Amino acid sequence: MAIEEDRAIKAAMDTVVRETDNGYRVLGAPEQSVTHQHDIDRIPEFDVTEEMLKGSGDDPEAWLVYGKNYEQHRYTTAGVITPENVADLELEYEMSVGSGSSMEGSPLIVPGDPPIMYQSNGPNHIKAIDPREGDVLWSFTYAVPSDVVLCCDDNNRGPAVFEDKVYMTTLDSGVVALNRYTGEEEWYASTADHESGYSATWAPQVYDGKVFTGSAGGEYGVRGFHTALDAETGDEVWYTHTSPEEEWVGDSIEQSCCTNWMGATVDTEKGRLYLPMGNPGPDFDGSVRPGPNRNSCGTLCLDMETGERLWFFQESPHDVWDYDSACPRVLIREMEVDHREQTIDAVVSAGKTAWSYTLDADTGELIERSQPGVQQLNMYTMIPHIDEGRRMPFMPGAMGGNDWQPPAYNPDTGLVYYKMHNSPQEAWWRFEEYEEGKKYWGGILEDETESIPDGYNGHIGAVIAIDPETGQRVWRDWIDSDIYLWGGILTTSTGLTFAGNQNGEMVGYDAETGDRLWEFDTGETPISGDPVSWYDPGEEKQYLAIQVGGSGWLRRGKRDDRLMVFSMEA
Amino acid sequence: MTILAVSDGYQSTHTREHMSAPQITTEDREGLTRTLGVGESDVGERPTLSQLRGTIDAEADDSFASMGEAIRAELSGRLDASLLAERREELAAQIERLPEVRNVGIPAGESEPDRLYREVIEPGWDVYHHLADVGFFESVEEALPRFTPDHIETTAHELIRAEPLSGTLSGMGFDEHEQMVLVMNVVNNNTRLARWVPTKDIPSGVGFDVDHVPPLPQRAMGGTLLWVNALDVHLWQSRVLVTEKILDDAFWDTKAMLGGLSMMTEAAHDVAAGESLTDAQLTAALSASAAIMIVNQEEICKDAFWITEEMRAPSKAR
Repeated sequence: MAIEEDRAIKAAMDTVVRETDNGYRVLGAPEQSVTHQHDIDRIPEFDVTEEMLKGSGDDPEAWLVYGKNYEQHRYTTAGVITPENVADLELEYEMSVGSGSSMEGSPLIVPGDPPIMYQSNGPNHIKAIDPREGDVLWSFTYAVPSDVVLCCDDNNRGPAVFEDKVYMTTLDSGVVALNRYTGEEEWYASTADHESGYSATWAPQVYDGKVFTGSAGGEYGVRGFHTALDAETGDEVWYTHTSPEEEWVGDSIEQSCCTNWMGATVDTEKGRLYLPMGNPGPDFDGSVRPGPNRNSCGTLCLDMETGERLWFFQESPHDVWDYDSACPRVLIREMEVDHREQTIDAVVSAGKTAWSYTLDADTGELIERSQPGVQQLNMYTMIPHIDEGRRMPFMPGAMGGNDWQPPAYNPDTGLVYYKMHNSPQEAWWRFEEYEEGKKYWGGILEDETESIPDGYNGHIGAVIAIDPETGQRVWRDWIDSDIYLWGGILTTSTGLTFAGNQNGEMVGYDAETGDRLWEFDTGETPISGDPVSWYDPGEEKQYLAIQVGGSGWLRRGKRDDRLMVFSMEA
Repeated sequence: MTILAVSDGYQSTHTREHMSAPQITTEDREGLTRTLGVGESDVGERPTLSQLRGTIDAEADDSFASMGEAIRAELSGRLDASLLAERREELAAQIERLPEVRNVGIPAGESEPDRLYREVIEPGWDVYHHLADVGFFESVEEALPRFTPDHIETTAHELIRAEPLSGTLSGMGFDEHEQMVLVMNVVNNNTRLARWVPTKDIPSGVGFDVDHVPPLPQRAMGGTLLWVNALDVHLWQSRVLVTEKILDDAFWDTKAMLGGLSMMTEAAHDVAAGESLTDAQLTAALSASAAIMIVNQEEICKDAFWITEEMRAPSKAR
């Protein structure tokens, strides 16, 4: 059946995402969620077990959790594509997913004959696909309420799988569980009131029978939380506010934000979650929220069983530049730190500050802060406020540095690969009306600056390799464009690193040196998705897939709806 | 407690000079003379409060007196004088202990930091919670205007004239130079202080959810306590970035904030016990103490928490 006849795809196509003064609104979504089934008998029926999820990182045939493994390495052991032959990597096919909205996600691959891909994109549309042929097996569109408000596009950054279910966060701050063989809804759980400004866009994590999901709405005066749901029923297991009462003045905590709007990293050995933490609220007016505003803009460690807060490391105390620290945390086990004569489990990430931070997973102690990934100009300078006449461009701008773009870690090179913005913005602080559920910046942010900082090199972004042990910036590929650089990174055991960019280029880098070994022109639209790769023994091919299309809320470029799949025979 | 080495080449034993208030610059002095309306010849290289007291107009401001009177009337019978007096003494002891804390610098601790800076502010938390419980912050904010150049000028005049306040600061371990620096925090920060708007003055209909914005004096004192509270974990976790200069600056910023906190405690005690300050001086003490806490929490943020590439200790790994 052609996808034009697919009711779920039709429902997604009929859904309009409109930018308003108050952010993005989702209009025209179906009143009830829609499932459309095609050849669902092709989906092999077996439970995706916890052992499979834990083994996803080492399994060349699988991509079962958002970051490939729970440690979020985005490192594949599929070994067909190498630096020597990558120049011959070819497009196997491209398919239209039917809904050309936000395309920021990571598809999952459940191994089998055939393997099954679960692929999601905005607005809350998900499919099961036979990735050998690009055939849609079922599709589902969630009924997003029309009063949902979104700061930054109708993103959905990927699903999760466990046993016979596939899970997707929903834009109205919920999680929906679907039967992964049929696409039918099993349960839905709301985690917060979307009318108060809460939403959900990230890939949830599933482990130990629980679905872990966070909170978004940091521009709408909410109070952030993380919660664990029963994977079978959707019932709440625990719920933790991210910001501690005792570290905020009075009732300012009620609109403290401190959301965690990208997924947790699961430490299966220590029983911990490492959360990327967003901005305090309001974004730019720090005078109504004095103090460091913990736990905003950093890494928060929670006990996985209870949700208890264990430690927090802050990157931008009392932030007034919207320096979220959103990218998924990379967990590196038994990292040798030569200059300290230590071996530690390390939590590594970069924030909008453009530094990469290497933390001790036990305590949150900073082991090393890297050289800046991109330029830092007028950084950490108090923004002007109240009188609008004074403007001051700062870098990194409020987009970062590293925003949500998931990094990759290659244990063979010992390097972490990041995508970072390198563009100034201006912000100032003034009184702005607050109403519940309305956008709540506490000031003004300008992407089109009146001036540029002295010393700006003009490159809008970069792909960067950093050694997490020493903080050394090992290589950097500057990117020039009028559009921002989104999407994640993939690295391979054969010594390659793959990243798409906003110029429509899919690039294969030498993971050691950053040399471009392969480039593929996908066309004029930006690549905003995260590359994933797997080996299919039935076809004896290694595949590499990525979603193509402009996403985000500023300078995102042209929309598209393509899933592009590359392959190489063994 | 262990003294932990930091890595920017400073000696591990610190002289008193490292731990003193910032130098007063020519620009500071010019701002001072301009605001107070005194001649440059009245302000020497190292101006002092006692020196200035002889040069400024001795007439009290009526509006300050009525504001102070209103505050006393509003808070009469609600404050616990003995608790405030006890905590004031404990605060003085903690401020006196600050050089010792500075010499430790970064708290020890294997898996989490020892309580070093947090111990210093324990009496401050008691004061804060008491003042919050009795509605002190709301009453003070209601009575006082927002920070304007005129209000700051009058505050400065009253502050300089108020010998009991100077005595309080002396008793807290602030020498003449340090007292002068605190006054300059108030006098020379019109623009910065104007950014901190009392909750009641956030424009009608365009404010935040005002129910969730604490009164300005509470933000001043609460922010002070939270910044000092966070020093333990911040310095302990980020020790690879921390230099002796950062620790020195944090020492003074902490001391200055606690000077402001002590002054507000003294003012609250004066309301409770009704003894030494005139009504106008009470108003000045409340305004000035909030200003000192506000200015110095912005300073500690820049000096010790926003550690730029230029400020950080060199990496030992590269």
